[in-house]
Amino acid sequence: MHELQSVFLYLAPDLFYSMPGAIRLHHVSKSFGNFEAVKNLSFQVDEGDIYGFLGPNGSGKSTSLRMMMGLIKPSSGEIYFGNQSLLKHRSEIMNQIGCMIEKPDFYNYLSAIDNLKLFERYHGLKYTKKQYDALLEKVGLLGREKDKVKTFSHGMKQRLGLAQVLLHNPAIIILDEPNTGLDPQGILDLRNLMLQLNKEEGKTILFSSHILSEVQEICDSMVVINRGEKVVEGKVSELLSEELLHVRVEAIDHNALKQAISLSSWKEKWSSTEESLLVFSLNKKEIPALVNFLHNHSVEVLRIDYKNPLEEYFLKITQHSS
Amino acid sequence: MKFVSVLFLLLSSVLLHAQDAKSLLRNVNKKFLAVNDYKAAVFMKFNIPGVKIKNMNGQVMYKRPNKFRVKANGIFFLPKQNPMQNMSQILMDTNAYTAVFSGNEVVQGMACAVVNLVPLQSNNEIILGRFWIDSKSALVLKSQITTKNNGTIETENRFGALGKYALPDRMLITVEVAKIKVPKMLAADLNKKSTDKSTATNTREKGTIELLLSDYKLNQKLSDAEFVETQ
Amino acid sequence: MSSFKNIYINEWIKTMKRPRSYIGFAIIIFICGMLQSAFYHDGKEILSFVTQSLENSFDINGTILNGNLICFILLQTLIVQLPLLVAFVTGDMVSGETSSGTIRFLLTRPASRTKIIIAKWLAGLTYTFFLLIVLGVMALFVARGVFGNGDLMALNSEGLTIVPADDLGWRWFYALCIAFLSLSVVATLSLFFSCILDNSITPIVTVMAIIIIFTIIGMFDIPSFDVIKPFLFTTHMISWKSLFEDPIPFADIRFSCIVLGVHLVVLLGLSLYFFNKKDISS
Repeated sequence: MHELQSVFLYLAPDLFYSMPGAIRLHHVSKSFGNFEAVKNLSFQVDEGDIYGFLGPNGSGKSTSLRMMMGLIKPSSGEIYFGNQSLLKHRSEIMNQIGCMIEKPDFYNYLSAIDNLKLFERYHGLKYTKKQYDALLEKVGLLGREKDKVKTFSHGMKQRLGLAQVLLHNPAIIILDEPNTGLDPQGILDLRNLMLQLNKEEGKTILFSSHILSEVQEICDSMVVINRGEKVVEGKVSELLSEELLHVRVEAIDHNALKQAISLSSWKEKWSSTEESLLVFSLNKKEIPALVNFLHNHSVEVLRIDYKNPLEEYFLKITQHSS
Repeated sequence: MKFVSVLFLLLSSVLLHAQDAKSLLRNVNKKFLAVNDYKAAVFMKFNIPGVKIKNMNGQVMYKRPNKFRVKANGIFFLPKQNPMQNMSQILMDTNAYTAVFSGNEVVQGMACAVVNLVPLQSNNEIILGRFWIDSKSALVLKSQITTKNNGTIETENRFGALGKYALPDRMLITVEVAKIKVPKMLAADLNKKSTDKSTATNTREKGTIELLLSDYKLNQKLSDAEFVETQ
Repeated sequence: MSSFKNIYINEWIKTMKRPRSYIGFAIIIFICGMLQSAFYHDGKEILSFVTQSLENSFDINGTILNGNLICFILLQTLIVQLPLLVAFVTGDMVSGETSSGTIRFLLTRPASRTKIIIAKWLAGLTYTFFLLIVLGVMALFVARGVFGNGDLMALNSEGLTIVPADDLGWRWFYALCIAFLSLSVVATLSLFFSCILDNSITPIVTVMAIIIIFTIIGMFDIPSFDVIKPFLFTTHMISWKSLFEDPIPFADIRFSCIVLGVHLVVLLGLSLYFFNKKDISS
């Protein structure tokens, strides 16, 4: 995809910049000394999307998000918000973005409301008490605004983090692992809030995670990165389709299983072996037929499961990184 | 015989001089006696090694026998054995010393008799007093008082209209001062390079205080309260 | 877009809402009170250490132990300690935010890093100014109230200078201005280290170490140190004292102000350079 963008950018840059796209990373790399944290990363978040930025821990997600927020300068490449280059229009862009990078750290010696007032001033806003109440209610902190942040739990700080994200009504919201440390109810509330902001207010949301299911549940599109490199990018519905699944079968007698398969047409669908498991590339509808076949050939099945190849790949790299 | 004659001549000369010194001092004291008290304006100029102090106006007050005060705004220095206070005191207490005539010298263009005063009591702070007295006017033009603890204080007096009362218009007091040495750490002068390379700690230097006196008011019946220092 | 005024107000609020900012004021008030009490009870004995050699030859008339002398001694004493109090607050201004993570929120606002650093620097200078004001009030006005006004017996390594009381007002004013310039250099130095280091304690300790080392170099008349002394800011931090000399070495004071000014500009420039280049990866 980015090759096409590059050609487009080269041939018709004006047209490229006027293309819809809330956030665009163009061949972005970042090195810390000899360590290349992000390698030639390109992807685009469309306006109005909820976009998942997926990768295992240490894959370069935070570095990429920090580059998008101007906290880290890319070694090469460019980042665009709309038509504006982050390098040249940082301040204007920051007025349009609400973000929460990693854990929400606030001035602990100030109250929640005093923290928000700092951000209010940074954005040149004048909030009324009514507006503050509405904002605090939205994030579930109404009534605790006068408490010092140092008395807040992680979940409450996360809520305050969301309040500061929404304070200046940004068009784009960037959240770095927002579910970390939240209880199940908190995760649900956050998910609902993101959906509400996206559907009702049309906000573009980019959020990073190392948990595929989080992305799967609410994102329209996503990009997966590993070791600083893009692995795949696209619509979630396409990437996680059930057209081609990896079906893994384990039998009590592994040899009997292998023999039965080798002598059948299922051999064509047998893609690999993982220890005592045979892995087949099937679509979802073929699974009952396989089960039937094994039953008819008296193969005693111990376990059968299936995964999307991307999910499987992601699981592998996540396990590897952890 | 010759020896006896010489001895007689010497003795009579000494006795004669002793007699001269005493009568000279009597004349000086007569002038002091004419003044019971006085008040005068004083302009003080200081030149004390290690101390920078601006010239200062003040008021001098004296009341017989031993009350003395210099009144001025601020900090100023006066010699410990203040000649203004002490001279009349020393000279008038004729039983406390032996006066010895020790020759003639010219001071301020005037022929002066030099009289040495040796205290009779050994516990006296003053070891030796030396006075240059103009015998015609009976005024002490110069004095040198050597003390046990404070070195030598030298005073040169110039007299004007009130010379008849032995009150000078100008006094130049020269005092020996131990050198002030403020440790750099105490002074905290990080930005200064020490200009003093001497290692001696007990060196003494000469400092002067010049007093210009005017507007004398004599015998005003000053009350003792005026001599009390108020902080 | 953030107006500079708003960024400055935020930095000032952050500075003054932190409990550590008040430690400096408390220390000044405590030290001033303690020393004034010591001078009130034993001042004459303490002073006789300096005036002893003079008192052998002279009667010193007038009140030496007055508010002006106390202020002079306090300023002289505290000018070495005050930088530590300044560094305690300004050394943490950036690194404290880096270590606590709030810098991520700060730098994702619509304000340039240059504006943020200058606002922090000005907030640091404002704090320094108030620290000096408290010192001035405690050292001069409280001391004058307790010990009275009078001529100042200024102490320097060459001896004593008696400065008349009515000639002191403007000298104190300019002395505080020079002291402010000196402390501003310390504040800027702290800010510089705060920009390049990521934890909140190291910049403070580094600045304190620099001040102590430079002060020790300044204390000793060693020829090899003489070459570098004129270029050390600590050498010129005490130049306010020159205002109490007679005659006042205006050329020396001007040189000191230039050296301090150059330090200020260079350190602020370096702070801006490094902070603008800095990657926030904490």
